[in-house]
Amino acid sequence: MPEGSSLVLIRQLPEPVVAAASRLGITGADCLFCVRADLDHTGKARDVWLVVTQKVLVAFAADGVEGTPLTGPFEIAATEKVRTFQTVGGAILQVMRDGFYSNVLRYSNSRREIFGRARQQLERLVDGRPLQLESLSAPSDLVCATCALPLPGRGAACPRCSQHAGLMRRSLALMKPYTGRIAMMVIMMVAGVSLDLLPPLLTKVLVDDVLKERAHVNWLEWILLILVTTATLRGLLNVLIGRTSVTVGTQISKALREQLQAKLMRLSVDYYDRHAVGSLMSRVLYDTEYFQGFVHQVAQGFLVNVMLVLGIGSMLFFMNWQLALLVLLPIPFVVTGTIFFWKRIYPRYYRLWDSQSKMAQLLSGFLSGIRLVKTFGQEERERERFTQAAQYIRQARVTVETSTATFNPIMAFVFSLGGLLIWEAGGHSVLEDRISLGTLMAFLGYVGMFYGPISAISMFSNWVTGFLSSAQRVFEILDAQVTLSVPKNPKPLPDLRGAIEFRNVTFGYDPYVPVLKNVSFKIEAGQFVGIVGKSGSGKTTVVNLVCRFYDPQEGEVFIDGVNVRDVDTHDLHRQVALVLQEPFLFRGSISENIAYGRPGAAPVAIMDAARNANAHEFVCKRHAAYDTRLGERGAGLSGGERQRISIARALLCEPKVLILDEATSSVDTESEQEIQKALAVLCKGRTTIAIAHRLSTLKSADHILVIDEGRVAESGTHDALMTKQDGIYHKLVMIQTQLTRLEM
Amino acid sequence: MTTPQSTPALAPAPGVRRLTPDKTTIFEGVLSVLHCAIQNDQLYRGVFAIRMFPVRHPTRFISLHFTDLDDKDREIGVIEDLSVFPPEQQALVQRDLAAHYHEKIIRRVFEVKYEYGLLFFEVETQDGREKFEMQWRGDRAEEYGDAGRVLLDALDNRYIIPDVEALPPADRQRFTNFIYW
Repeated sequence: MPEGSSLVLIRQLPEPVVAAASRLGITGADCLFCVRADLDHTGKARDVWLVVTQKVLVAFAADGVEGTPLTGPFEIAATEKVRTFQTVGGAILQVMRDGFYSNVLRYSNSRREIFGRARQQLERLVDGRPLQLESLSAPSDLVCATCALPLPGRGAACPRCSQHAGLMRRSLALMKPYTGRIAMMVIMMVAGVSLDLLPPLLTKVLVDDVLKERAHVNWLEWILLILVTTATLRGLLNVLIGRTSVTVGTQISKALREQLQAKLMRLSVDYYDRHAVGSLMSRVLYDTEYFQGFVHQVAQGFLVNVMLVLGIGSMLFFMNWQLALLVLLPIPFVVTGTIFFWKRIYPRYYRLWDSQSKMAQLLSGFLSGIRLVKTFGQEERERERFTQAAQYIRQARVTVETSTATFNPIMAFVFSLGGLLIWEAGGHSVLEDRISLGTLMAFLGYVGMFYGPISAISMFSNWVTGFLSSAQRVFEILDAQVTLSVPKNPKPLPDLRGAIEFRNVTFGYDPYVPVLKNVSFKIEAGQFVGIVGKSGSGKTTVVNLVCRFYDPQEGEVFIDGVNVRDVDTHDLHRQVALVLQEPFLFRGSISENIAYGRPGAAPVAIMDAARNANAHEFVCKRHAAYDTRLGERGAGLSGGERQRISIARALLCEPKVLILDEATSSVDTESEQEIQKALAVLCKGRTTIAIAHRLSTLKSADHILVIDEGRVAESGTHDALMTKQDGIYHKLVMIQTQLTRLEM
Repeated sequence: MTTPQSTPALAPAPGVRRLTPDKTTIFEGVLSVLHCAIQNDQLYRGVFAIRMFPVRHPTRFISLHFTDLDDKDREIGVIEDLSVFPPEQQALVQRDLAAHYHEKIIRRVFEVKYEYGLLFFEVETQDGREKFEMQWRGDRAEEYGDAGRVLLDALDNRYIIPDVEALPPADRQRFTNFIYW
């Protein structure tokens, strides 16, 4: 059967399916397409095939145990609608017949993408539209077509196939712009290590030739002079190395913070739907700190110590290889201890970071919602939550610190054993005249210097563990997929007219749960359009798509006849202004807040905007007028005042499209009147989309769209919609009229 | 002295409609579709069940829904205690609930490996030993009740650990090494 069909997905159908289909009279030539599901109707993992012909759709189990269809056949002609009904962890393909849905087959979320595409084709089949079967065999957006690895985001590059560099390699790559300075630093470090090797050698000469044999007594002053010079030069080099590493380190962390901020600005709004602000703040503020110490740690904490170990090791073997071998005895213990430390402590750093992040989130929520806490008398509960978070931090810190505090002394003990071994073996060698006392003294000097760097290198892993966990969180942001595509050749719209069109738009924040369903409408340039509907009906989603905070999964949004996906977003956002229910004001002066969208605006323009927004009067009453400093989120102003400032901000930008999302919902009646007056000025000559619960504010709208359950249920002028006695709009107006009477 | 006035009685708020066996009958129609008949109300066809407290009370507070002609999902009412319904009706609701939830319960964690920004899990669930991959991100491992975690794999399939503390110590260590939040 599959051979003759236009398309068989994934692979050929199993024989039992072909046999069962044949019994229903379905042949290969009849088959339009087939899709494999991975569950049966009880939820058991099982291959089930959906077979679609021009006339029917039917589901067969691949193992053919039943010998008959699992469900169906469902006649296409008798099918009113098709849908994929999202359940928890899976979904069900359903068809509506006789006014209710019946289950066709069930699948897990692993098969959601392909069934989403199949549903579109089934809808076309039911509607009698031509099929687009090529969409069924298009590559998945979720997994790599080459290696099948899940992708970090829809359509993102495969991290395996794109040869993503490791965390440490990427961190080292950050140093590239500072190669010159780092090279200078390495040269200074080599010079410093050479200087470090000198004193024990001079000690040998001092003991053997000056103090013991008294052969060159006059060398004493010279040797001391060289030692002083060595120490001075070493100190000088330390200063230079330290200063260079601080300069480079701070530059790296600054550059990284800037990269993070730029990336956070570029990321789509959906990224912020998924990530807590506290967690992102913690990454930008604290995790980047680790990068500041990166140069210092890699250069002075690692490279210098490696050089010292190599240099001193060479000297030890040069002086006496038998004793040098004894020095190496503790090394296996050190390596084993370091590996153990790495495995046990590494994950605990994550927990410590998590505890700090959770505390930041808790504090942020608690402090910004302090009024709510007090109103509901939940101070005690918040205190308990804080205590729990503080305890979590303490536990995480204790775990990390106690592990470190145990590990370090054990390592120190192992090193001291090494020194005692040298005293034992070296002492006998001196007594038996196999080596001179000066050689032993020099040897012990080197041993003292040798274990220090070994210890530092093993401790370096301690720092690396913390660093890598920070690096992972920082790179997670830098690697995050920007879900909105950037047009290759963006179409400039320097002078927007403001015509908006939605054409068959389907969109869901979860791609498989549509909030807007096949929505189409047109708004002419300069029109005032109201959008009404119940909470959660999809009103704000409409404006989110106009602003291109998200892209629809199906259909297109046009602005001045150009698909918003192709428009230069800078042009779009410059000419579209948004006034939200909860105006967001920044810490700064009133004038800075008004001029946020036009930072160079002249003071008189700022005042004009404020005057037109009915904000000028209350601003004048402030001691510092437009220079009045506002607190966090506009603290110091009433809700109505904040809203009028945000309207002034929108006015100043002279937008071509103005979007008012419940702009007057959270203010008192008097403020609302003031705001309505301001809005009347603001709306003149521009396309205005107003979402409002208070329908009285939309009476003068040129057009009203009633959104219900993600669809445009009604549209027309206020008067036209009021003629529909059983219409949604009519009902809403009646309810509000009654409510107003009750309030009176 | 004024006579204290009695506090006016609060008007009863309607709340959710409780579905009780004396007024509700759940039965199976053609193609195994669930229907629900309510006394002094209409017959609801194409009914489906949802748990209102899937973590705290998975067997109680079950909401019955139907899809109306405008494709809107509407609630019929809530069954507080399914066990008071006749056994055959209980079975129908249970069957429908089973169809609504596809979740794997993790009993053992054999291996967790990190590579390419993904965690590669090898676990034992009610269906036996299996492997899955998930993005190593905070939003992919959410809290589940007071002590559990629900892991969303790379394709949004759900893997639940009802109580992390109840895992064998070595498994817990492997798990919390990565899912530390």
